[in-house]
Amino acid sequence: MIPAKIDDVFIQITTSLSGVILNITAGKFLQKEFNAQESIYKTCPFLEGTLDALEISAPFLLEGMVLVSDFTEYNVDIELFKSAKNISVLIHNRTNVYKYLEQLNQNRNDIFFVKRQLAEKNIELDKLRKIADKANEEKSRFLAMMSHEIRNPLNVILGYAAMISEESINNSVKEYLKLLSLSGEHLKVIVNDILDLSRIEAGKLVLVNSPINIKEISKHCIENYRHQNTNTAVELLLEVSEKVPYLVLGDNVRINQILSNLLSNALKFTEKGEISIVVTVVSEDEKSVNIAFLVSDSGRGMTTAQTFEIFDEYQQNKKTDNRVHGGAGLGLSIVKRLLKAMNGRISVDSELGKGTVFKAEIPFLKETHQKSEVVKKIKTLASKSLRGKRILVADDDALNQTIVAHILTKENVTLTQVKDGLEALDILKTTIFDVVLLDIHMPNITGEQLVQQKKEFKKENRDIPFLALTANTAPEDLKRYKNIGFKSVIGKPYTSVSFLEQIGLTLN
Amino acid sequence: MIAKKVLLVGNFGVGKTSLIRRFVLNQFSEDYISTIGVRVSSKIVQFENQEIKLLIWDVAGTSGNEKIPKAYFLGASAAMYVFDLSREETYVSIDNYLESIKELSGLKDIIVVGNKKDLLTQEELESVINTVSVKIDLITSAKEDENVENAFLQLASQAIK
Repeated sequence: MIPAKIDDVFIQITTSLSGVILNITAGKFLQKEFNAQESIYKTCPFLEGTLDALEISAPFLLEGMVLVSDFTEYNVDIELFKSAKNISVLIHNRTNVYKYLEQLNQNRNDIFFVKRQLAEKNIELDKLRKIADKANEEKSRFLAMMSHEIRNPLNVILGYAAMISEESINNSVKEYLKLLSLSGEHLKVIVNDILDLSRIEAGKLVLVNSPINIKEISKHCIENYRHQNTNTAVELLLEVSEKVPYLVLGDNVRINQILSNLLSNALKFTEKGEISIVVTVVSEDEKSVNIAFLVSDSGRGMTTAQTFEIFDEYQQNKKTDNRVHGGAGLGLSIVKRLLKAMNGRISVDSELGKGTVFKAEIPFLKETHQKSEVVKKIKTLASKSLRGKRILVADDDALNQTIVAHILTKENVTLTQVKDGLEALDILKTTIFDVVLLDIHMPNITGEQLVQQKKEFKKENRDIPFLALTANTAPEDLKRYKNIGFKSVIGKPYTSVSFLEQIGLTLN
Repeated sequence: MIAKKVLLVGNFGVGKTSLIRRFVLNQFSEDYISTIGVRVSSKIVQFENQEIKLLIWDVAGTSGNEKIPKAYFLGASAAMYVFDLSREETYVSIDNYLESIKELSGLKDIIVVGNKKDLLTQEELESVINTVSVKIDLITSAKEDENVENAFLQLASQAIK
């Protein structure tokens, strides 16, 4: 006795050797499709040709065959047994089992094709990324080259402007010179901004994490602008909370750049009133402190819509802004990107006609070893006198030579000037110096080649400081110069103060 | 009328079911539905003044070293190995596959068909033809109904030999 449910999942049929159904032995699966005296091939077309080929008395199994009844497909396994007189056909309904198998198989194949498509897309993306990287590198190289080409003449313009201003000139010429210097300084800021942005975009921005004094940086920054600001109707104020730690770990140059850009922006758009930097502690724990820098002005202010766009590149709210106020509209974009790199953030609150407040928040790690000597030491070094020092300067540019001579002569140094690397090499073999300044791009022997030939110098000149005098001021350039033997770099364009400061620091 | 059992074998997704649908029903679908087990279709063809009922076994596609059950080949008169011209893995070891099928089926010759011609440029097609290590009997496109009938007629010819 076979239970009813089992009866439904199989059927056993006996056929003649030519496939004609003789009888149904057991089971009820698709019973109505199998009638005596009909060919089994009608329902099981796959048996045509197969039954003829069966061996006598050899059981045979066909798995995963498909039967169709009333437009429904069934997956079946079939056991066949051929005797001399007839054939036994046992059909098992395995539809449920094959349904899962079918789904698994479909999934496997679909995954295969999706993976294949992904792999192809990845190859395409990789190609596009390489093209974009190459284009970006080309752009950076172009910018670096242009920067070098601009900085050199700019150094001459600013240097001569400084020299002329020391002569006896009338007030009109003094005024023209001031404007000339101001434009030169603006151009310098633009070149630096473009290079900075390109560097940040290329992911080449490296932040330094050394002990810094936030109060000193803020003070220095505001004093610098107080010195530059010619508008007596605008007052510059600084307030640093007592809670701000004396030293934190951060990047001195970049913090100064953030404050300078915000301050410069405020100065551009404030005709009268006051501009202030307020430094406060937002939160702190044992190891870190979150410091907010609020730069407020009483300038023309902005609409809410304008505040959303001001951090975009080349963005200035009025089309005439870049004509009237100068700049390429990169300062705030750089600020935002620098803050992002420092895990900080910036917000702006502004009202038309009343003024604007920029709030830059930066998390710092606290400097636990209070090495206050660091700052003092730097100050001491910078003020060292150069009187009587024997200085060699090699530069093929006569205009630059004149500026250098002008600055150093006033310091009462013993100055020797040569016009290329070969002349410098000759004199370094015979004459003793205290410090050597080398232009990088010189005929015959470049500054880079010369500094690597110290073994050929007179013994006393082998350990003296060599400084590179160059417009190549990218971090990788500075690193390379130091690696090949330069003690420091004086970047063009320089002021007489920064020029002397670098030499003084090196001599100590 | 004589009936001949023929099989289509090859890697999954190469278009075996599409070739049969094109040949038997003159239909084509872009949707990919994998085949499980075996579906059998039949079509009567005229070949050399005789009618042949082709019983076409659409055997589920394999992957890598999966073997086709030997039972499927019982009584088979001919077989067609289908590969995808746009997928290297379906023809890179074609000589091994063919040897294995010959061993399982006992057939001396297997018809080799490269499908999905529509996905390749002429240059790419020539490169594939030069790469495949065995003689390709026919290049087909089930999608564009190119050479499909010829492929099955060649299969019929092989079946009645």
